[in-house]
Amino acid sequence: MEFEPVIGLEIHVELKTKSKMFSDAPVVYGKEPNTQVAPLDMAFPGTLPVVNKQAVINAIRVCHALHMSIDQELYFDRKNYFYSDLPKGYQITQDKRPIGKEGYLEIEIDGKVKRIGIERLHMEEDTCKQLHFSTFTLLNYNRAGTPLIEIVSKPEMRSGEEAMKYVERIRSIVVFSGVSDGKMEEGSLRCDVNVSIREKGSNTFGTKVEIKNINSISYIQKAIDFEVERQKKLIESGEKVVQETRRYDDAKKETIRMRLKTDSVDYKYYPEANIIPIRLSDKFVEDAIASCPELAESRKERYIKEYGLNDYDASLLVSEKAISDYYNELTKHSKAYKLLANWVNVDVAGYLNKNNLTIEDFPLSAEKLAGLVSMVEKNEVSSNQAREIFAKMLEENLDAKSAMSKLGISSQISDESYIKEVVEEVLKENPQAIIDYKEGKGRAMGFLVGQVMKKTQGKINPKLTSDMLLEELKKR
Amino acid sequence: MYRGLSIEKLHELLVNKKVTPLELTKEAIELAKKDSNNAFEYIMESEALAIAESLKEPEVNNPLWGIPFVIKDNMSTKDVPTTGSSNILRGYVPVFDATVVAKLKEAHAVPIGKSTLDELAMGGTGTSGHLGTTYNPFDRSHTRLVGGSSCGSAAVTADGIVPFALGSDTGDSTRKPASYAGLVGFKPTWGRISRYGLFPFAPSLDTVGIFTRSVKDCAYVLNATAGRDEKDMTSSVVPVHDYVKDIEKFDKKRKIAVIQEILDTITDKDIKKAFLDNINKLKESGFTVEFVHMDTKMLASLFATYFVISCAEATSNNANLDGIKFGPLSKGDTYEEVMKNARTKGFGELIKRRFIIGSFALMKENKEELFVRAQRNRRAVVDKLNEIYKEYDFIYALAAPSIAPKIGESSDRLSDEYLIADNHLVLGNFAGLPSLTLPLGLKDNMPFGVNVMGKAFDEVGVFQLSYEIEKITGLKDLVAKGEQK
Repeated sequence: MEFEPVIGLEIHVELKTKSKMFSDAPVVYGKEPNTQVAPLDMAFPGTLPVVNKQAVINAIRVCHALHMSIDQELYFDRKNYFYSDLPKGYQITQDKRPIGKEGYLEIEIDGKVKRIGIERLHMEEDTCKQLHFSTFTLLNYNRAGTPLIEIVSKPEMRSGEEAMKYVERIRSIVVFSGVSDGKMEEGSLRCDVNVSIREKGSNTFGTKVEIKNINSISYIQKAIDFEVERQKKLIESGEKVVQETRRYDDAKKETIRMRLKTDSVDYKYYPEANIIPIRLSDKFVEDAIASCPELAESRKERYIKEYGLNDYDASLLVSEKAISDYYNELTKHSKAYKLLANWVNVDVAGYLNKNNLTIEDFPLSAEKLAGLVSMVEKNEVSSNQAREIFAKMLEENLDAKSAMSKLGISSQISDESYIKEVVEEVLKENPQAIIDYKEGKGRAMGFLVGQVMKKTQGKINPKLTSDMLLEELKKR
Repeated sequence: MYRGLSIEKLHELLVNKKVTPLELTKEAIELAKKDSNNAFEYIMESEALAIAESLKEPEVNNPLWGIPFVIKDNMSTKDVPTTGSSNILRGYVPVFDATVVAKLKEAHAVPIGKSTLDELAMGGTGTSGHLGTTYNPFDRSHTRLVGGSSCGSAAVTADGIVPFALGSDTGDSTRKPASYAGLVGFKPTWGRISRYGLFPFAPSLDTVGIFTRSVKDCAYVLNATAGRDEKDMTSSVVPVHDYVKDIEKFDKKRKIAVIQEILDTITDKDIKKAFLDNINKLKESGFTVEFVHMDTKMLASLFATYFVISCAEATSNNANLDGIKFGPLSKGDTYEEVMKNARTKGFGELIKRRFIIGSFALMKENKEELFVRAQRNRRAVVDKLNEIYKEYDFIYALAAPSIAPKIGESSDRLSDEYLIADNHLVLGNFAGLPSLTLPLGLKDNMPFGVNVMGKAFDEVGVFQLSYEIEKITGLKDLVAKGEQK
């Protein structure tokens, strides 16, 4: 029997806003536990939710990027359940009327574009963070109330690779739009995967298994691939897939049961009466979209069309927002677009890799690096010299000129009229060499270049010099 | 010495320096300490005296300057214990003031205490708070209820300890006790006074309430408390008025409706007669009062509809009370045990019943039949009210079918009198309308009241008409007679 995996994803994205979804406590990471808390975040009696406008703007931006229809009336509901990480005993979310409905995004699989449907996107709030010990649990309310969006895909993915690419695209969108940090490792992008398998061509669904707590993009593919195989083996050996929640253990490289799913929980949803429906004007929605920072796709297109980069270089540049931002910064100081791209994708990337750094930690300002690249462009330094200068710049955080003087490299003279003057002078002084050259004696050219260099103490651009010599020799 | 005086009168004395805020506050605290009606959760002695002492120069144009008042204990008060009259919040000291409290403090009124209520404002008898029954001061033998849930605030106002007190009103929790205690009891339009800091019972119905002993005093308090609050998204941006300025200028062209079917269910002949006499007097004085009709079945459905909606909302709104973040800590090996122990010990039987009913109404299999249907019926009732308000400006009714019931006296909860005459005030909560109860008469030395309900945000009209009615009845500044025991 040939099987087909059916995969759907629920992605929670923590929004990067100044304050929380419904309170004025700041959203910041890494602070002392329980210091970034407003009375509402701990559900003190009598506190009331006030909707964070920026969170709504962020949600609209993502909806737009995912081609979703946006509900211009905001409704919030309560999801009721008791849990120690849920301060109010309910979560304010959007049940009946999510802000976004019916969208899609496109991924590329083996050079073919595949469209993955997205069912809904809704806004909600995060819970507090728990730290479990053997006999007690610590609660940190700093996270409680952080704005979240949940993006629910349709069960339209058919492999771990598709799911991974889907998450990569979502991550790119939320990061480029400035909506979130999108860091799976830090939990600002969290992914729950639903996996089932069925006979290929069937229209029914198999028993669904949920995989939670996958904390890196690469594990998504691994977890799903493992899970699909596990389910196949079960069915092939005549056993049944049971409905359960599993987690991915990256050390063992397998999924492990967390709990069986019994009857689904009844969350007793009902409308949140403390927030009356909010009408979003056309202008508000349009402004939210128009003010959205440029997304990866559009940057890539621009790099190719306006800067003349190839697809490969452009794709590399937009693989991380910070890298693309750095490149954008470089282009403000130099128009040598291709050369700049090369430097970022090869030299900068190499340095970061070698030192295990991210671009945020890269010591050279865009202005300094662009200065160096400009010199390469103008042939003031050779590429070998440039690499040497680059290393010195990084070492001592210098600009190109200072690094050169420390290294004792002087810039090549590329002034064509000056070079021409010297070339003519040398030719006049060495008529025999001209004859030798015409007779096809190879050494003559080298001799003439040497003479030019001698006259200029080697400061002259060698390539320009030989080009110029050739031109002049042709005339004689 | 100053017991039982109105805000208006006290203001005059304060401005003329016949009395100081400190003297008023000291007297109020003395009276509070002698309270025998079980009306106080907490007397804010040191806090109140500190505020009163700081008030030196009278503010001529601020009628609340130096006036002592009492706060229902389901309103958050910074650094002052707030229990909601529930054991689950024993020892809870809020870190912030409710907006309505903050506004009154800014107006330099002096809060002197926190008053008892039915546990977490759920109940209409004033008997279910963790301190037990609160008594009606009009019956010094302690045989009668003052009603609830704002029992303590009603009792302290009726007893003349303070000229005004804050209550809350989800079904009739301010307006019903007002009827039993000879008071003005007022709920504004939903959204007129910020609910920030009011412990939520059923937010779609909840409002802050005001108790005073005269209509004008009530308008003074609304002047200081109404308005938009950025902390409460449901607070309205509709401009506020000066509710006192034109209180004597009722426009007699405005029409008053009396719902025949509510009146029909009242069996107490004296009370009914008093109301009809009052209507006649209004007519004689040139007011337009006409009878209108509402389907009896619809009226009889009010209580059930209210109960389903309010219990459903309540079960969720009180889910934060899990013994983890505040209130007494309970032991347990798991979070479930901790929560169960805290809630089992912390809540009284009556509200546990409400939580179960509310939870039941929201369960997947019952939601459509109970919660959604109740919501739909609420909508139908509001539509019917809107129809009446197309032709009329006010709905006028007896606030309750009887004087304050005796403790332990039970009414037939399936009779039309109970279902309709005892519960119709919830119309004002369903539609979020301004509604004011004021005394109409006394029977067996116990007061009973009438209720004026206006259009949304027509607080001005409600006060104007109520002021006229007060002139006709002559019943203002009522204070319970006899010494406190």
